[in-house]
Amino acid sequence: MQALLVLLSIAALSLLASSRVLDPGRFPALARLAASGFLFLLLGILLGPSVVGLLTPGNLEGLRPLVALGLGTAGVILGLNLEPRLLRLLPRPVYSAALAHAGSAFLFVALPLVAPLLLAFKLPPQSAVGAAALLGAAASLSSGHFAVLAYRAGRMDRARGLGVALLTMLDDAVGLGVLALALVLSAASHVGEGLGLVCLAVLLGVMCGALLAFLTHSLKDLAELTTVTLGGVALVAGAAAYLRVSALLAGVACGATLALVGGRTAERVSRALGRVERPSFLVLVFLVGCGVHARDWGAWALVPGFVGLRFLGKVLGGKLAQKLAGSALELPPRLGYALIAQGGLALCLVAEYGMLVPGGLSQRVLDVVVVGAVANELLAGQAFRQVLTPTPATARAPRPDVEVAT
Amino acid sequence: MKGAVIRLVLVMGLLAIISRAQMLRVDSGTPVTLAAGALLLCGLFAGKVAKGFGLPRLTGYLLVGVAVGPYALGFIPNAGVKGLELVKGLAVSLIALVAGTELRLGLIRQVGTRVALLCAGVCGLTFVVCFGALFAFKPLLPFMASMTVAQGLAVSALVSTVVVSFSPTVTIAIVQETSARGSFTEFLMALVIIGDLFVMVAFALAAGITKASFGGGLDVAGLLGGVGWELFGSVGVGCVLAVAVLVYMRGVKQELPLFLVGLSFTAAEGGARLHLSPLLVSLAAGALVANLDERSGERIHHAIQQAGLPVFALFFAAAGAGLKLDALVTVGPVALVLVALRGVAIWFSCRKLAPADDPRLRRYLWMGLISQAGVTFGLAALVSRTFPSFGPNVEVLIVAMITAHELVGPVLTRRALSASGEIRADEAAGTA
Repeated sequence: MQALLVLLSIAALSLLASSRVLDPGRFPALARLAASGFLFLLLGILLGPSVVGLLTPGNLEGLRPLVALGLGTAGVILGLNLEPRLLRLLPRPVYSAALAHAGSAFLFVALPLVAPLLLAFKLPPQSAVGAAALLGAAASLSSGHFAVLAYRAGRMDRARGLGVALLTMLDDAVGLGVLALALVLSAASHVGEGLGLVCLAVLLGVMCGALLAFLTHSLKDLAELTTVTLGGVALVAGAAAYLRVSALLAGVACGATLALVGGRTAERVSRALGRVERPSFLVLVFLVGCGVHARDWGAWALVPGFVGLRFLGKVLGGKLAQKLAGSALELPPRLGYALIAQGGLALCLVAEYGMLVPGGLSQRVLDVVVVGAVANELLAGQAFRQVLTPTPATARAPRPDVEVAT
Repeated sequence: MKGAVIRLVLVMGLLAIISRAQMLRVDSGTPVTLAAGALLLCGLFAGKVAKGFGLPRLTGYLLVGVAVGPYALGFIPNAGVKGLELVKGLAVSLIALVAGTELRLGLIRQVGTRVALLCAGVCGLTFVVCFGALFAFKPLLPFMASMTVAQGLAVSALVSTVVVSFSPTVTIAIVQETSARGSFTEFLMALVIIGDLFVMVAFALAAGITKASFGGGLDVAGLLGGVGWELFGSVGVGCVLAVAVLVYMRGVKQELPLFLVGLSFTAAEGGARLHLSPLLVSLAAGALVANLDERSGERIHHAIQQAGLPVFALFFAAAGAGLKLDALVTVGPVALVLVALRGVAIWFSCRKLAPADDPRLRRYLWMGLISQAGVTFGLAALVSRTFPSFGPNVEVLIVAMITAHELVGPVLTRRALSASGEIRADEAAGTA
């Protein structure tokens, strides 16, 4: 019954978030959280076991298949966006710039936070390094939705908006790479087994992606295409969850394989998946919020360090990225301030880590990243103003109902 | 069809690899999502293969579910199939919503009395035959052998009410698949729906009497209150949902399939928790919408056709995977005798009691009444929970009967519609 109530609450909140009640003019911070889906994260924290307790840990255990499905869907969508043709066209300075801002934030967060994880929480070195790496990975990610909103509203020119969005898309790869590394270090009793599990996830994804490309190849009927797409995504996510390997990495491998061998079919699958992207993201974000232990003071103590160090890393990394990108990519001044928003993939990374690495450490990582992501989302609104040039009088008013994927 | 066979074999091959890989892991994770994905894909392509053989798609869904399920090849573990109960409730509600939109006031006025009389005759005769057979089998059935005569009679009556039930789910799915339209189809659909209303009332009464015979005392007021709440409460809640649907359709006008799926999920879960009949809730909602606003009824029909394919494929494949083949071995002979007797009773009562003005009813109607699915499963599970001393054995017997009925019922239903000459298309797009 609780699960039903919660799903109904999500539905009600969806209607609220898409209505004009949350007017950006009246409640800008709340409207921003609603547009990015982070309002669902807060609702999850509120209704979860550690605050109101409407959902018990048992309920959350029963909802794990939904989390796996959400992670698999997110992975396949990410993988489908990895268009090999487009990636080959990008000049090397673009990759250097992406690596610079993502890498800076990673190093600024991961290196200093190893010390408290090792000393204050008395963890074995391998686990502490894995957890710190994952915190760094989550910190390295950025969301380009502010840039997208700004250029749609006419407050940033298109080339710069797309430049920021491109950089933030590329650092997803850094995050996924570090997740794989963290799972190698922590998801099994020794590194070799961890590596085997990550390889198994990727192999599973490749097999499912190739199969999905074949299954959807000659399907003409839209209902059948949607059914096969949903079945394929559930199969890859479910198989990963069943074998206890990463549904996110398997999904990315599946999507990338489909993009590589699927040709035009990949576009049709992408469109079919696009119809369920937003609802599945919101449910996933809500369930991640439910998993937060709001009374873990150790995690709260780490949050200021995480947010502050990430901010510093992004600002300095942004400067470095601007230098490295040169004329290959048009970027706004003070790029680092445009990269403060963290986005949904960070939540996917910690949710996956929490599912595959049992114990208090992965829970603490999840708590820090989730609270940090909300703080960063609120901070990002103010920080992004530093990036914008003064608005011309003729600029169009922002559209309050714009929704963007993070 | 060749392409569908190749695709089905490939999906099953991948499933075999996954289940083999799982053996290498010491502990496995949740299999529910895997079950959903695998049954969806296998169901879809098995449905195409079945169609190639001239069978209903639904038979393909069921058979492939049996094949990959825990009782045959074992590619999908039992926990995965059990985890799909939510989907089953959702599918029953969606199907009932569509069926409700077919129940026009004019049609009910036109055939209502005749259908109700025939239904009473068919259900009554089938009940008497099954009741007599079960009581005669009492010494042969281990769970009934030690009961007193009064207890034996009560349990026979209880089991017989469940055995009588039809399957609106299968009938409506086949009607959708074949786009059948006409007086025979309307008569058949009305009959299976009203038959289930009869069964619900009879089941509540029989359960109360059985409780009393086992020393629980006969609470007549509670019994009537329970039946009244299930029937009238369901219709009342259905009316509230109908108003919600109309308000949504006039106010929001977007994402109707998604809204209807959410509404059906609410009807299924909420109805079950409130001891209402989810089938009746959705049926009432659909009927009220169609009678208040005909265009809205048509829009619902169209929207569910869009969302229906994955839900139906998953529902029937999961139902197939849940069929306990081992139950056929233990109580198989008695179950098969009951299946045969039920079939003969339905055939005989239709031949003798169906209206004479349409000869098709007397000749083919019985074929559409053989199927059993969701409602019968639900009642069997309810017997198991309510009477822990003998209920689980009754459930095994009924599930064995459902297994047999599921395999032949859809084929017979399609044949009945085909013989009546009311099938309009080989296949309706995006349906079961």
